Amino acid sequence: MSESLDISTLEGARREALIRLIITLADSKRILGIRYSDWALGAPSIETGVSTSSMTQDEWGHARLLYAMLKKLGIDPEPVEHDRPGEEFASIAALDHEQPDWAGLVALMTLADGAVSSVLRSFSTGTLELAQNRVPKMLAEEEFHESLGSAWYRRLAATDGEARQLLTSATEAMLPGLLAWVGADDDAARHMVDAGVIGPASERLTAFRDHVRDFVALVGVDIDSVEASAEWDEVRGRTPGRPDEEACQRARGDLNRALLVE
Amino acid sequence: MNEFVYDVFTRKERGDRLQHVGYVDAFDDETAKIYAWTTYSEERWFEMCVVKRTNVLPVNRVDGLFFEAQKAAHV
Repeated sequence: MSESLDISTLEGARREALIRLIITLADSKRILGIRYSDWALGAPSIETGVSTSSMTQDEWGHARLLYAMLKKLGIDPEPVEHDRPGEEFASIAALDHEQPDWAGLVALMTLADGAVSSVLRSFSTGTLELAQNRVPKMLAEEEFHESLGSAWYRRLAATDGEARQLLTSATEAMLPGLLAWVGADDDAARHMVDAGVIGPASERLTAFRDHVRDFVALVGVDIDSVEASAEWDEVRGRTPGRPDEEACQRARGDLNRALLVE
Repeated sequence: MNEFVYDVFTRKERGDRLQHVGYVDAFDDETAKIYAWTTYSEERWFEMCVVKRTNVLPVNRVDGLFFEAQKAAHV
């Protein structure tokens, strides 16, 4: 474990970089929860639906813990969670739209959730005490998501019909954006590396590639040959785009605003 | 894609008897553990385990769930 960073000493670009990192992680968790919830009633079996429902709860819990970290930076998380327009959401691009089929959700569980966990793992071993304290429990809960995703990924990859094709397509579509996000290496990301908050881009990318290599090989994808997306939004720390409006409304809780309890 | 029945056993506290709380359908041991954990989440279990129903050998009955599972497995 690294020596702790005194968060109160952060200012200027480093402070902004930490805010960006926390928000992209929190937004990704929140929208991931929505994408899991989309399948709670349409999964291939009751048991799988119950599991996706459980993962939804996990992701939303993790999101709240991450948003709450903003308090230590003097930022009220409430408007961040409930008042931002969709253009400001910094969740990873793979989550921008509902997955049209179960194979897509399996790819999301294995690759997108895996990407978020890769960055969180780096965050948890960095210099930020908040992350050292809060993130390991999230990662422990993520072990179930990883197990379920990998079991389904292997299962669908072993078929020779439409399911395998859909899994392959979803995998190929997601990876470039995920590689760009995990391996973020712009000024803000480098500020975080310099402060020891996360590891270097090459280290994060290696960890992610190692994590997914054997899975994606099952559908004929060589992770070392996949190029990261070239397009990048430095303000939000993600590739261009945004979650669809319905997901943003659900993430903000627009329909339940009158019942909001903080 | 074949699925199998796994029976779910839990104990709430250390020293409690292991009790049968239900079952899940799953395609392998790993998913059975996940489904059991997320389906029977009403308590903070001290211990939970799953047993593939075909691995339960009936001793004195020639009817019931476990006998039927054995019979089906050997068809």
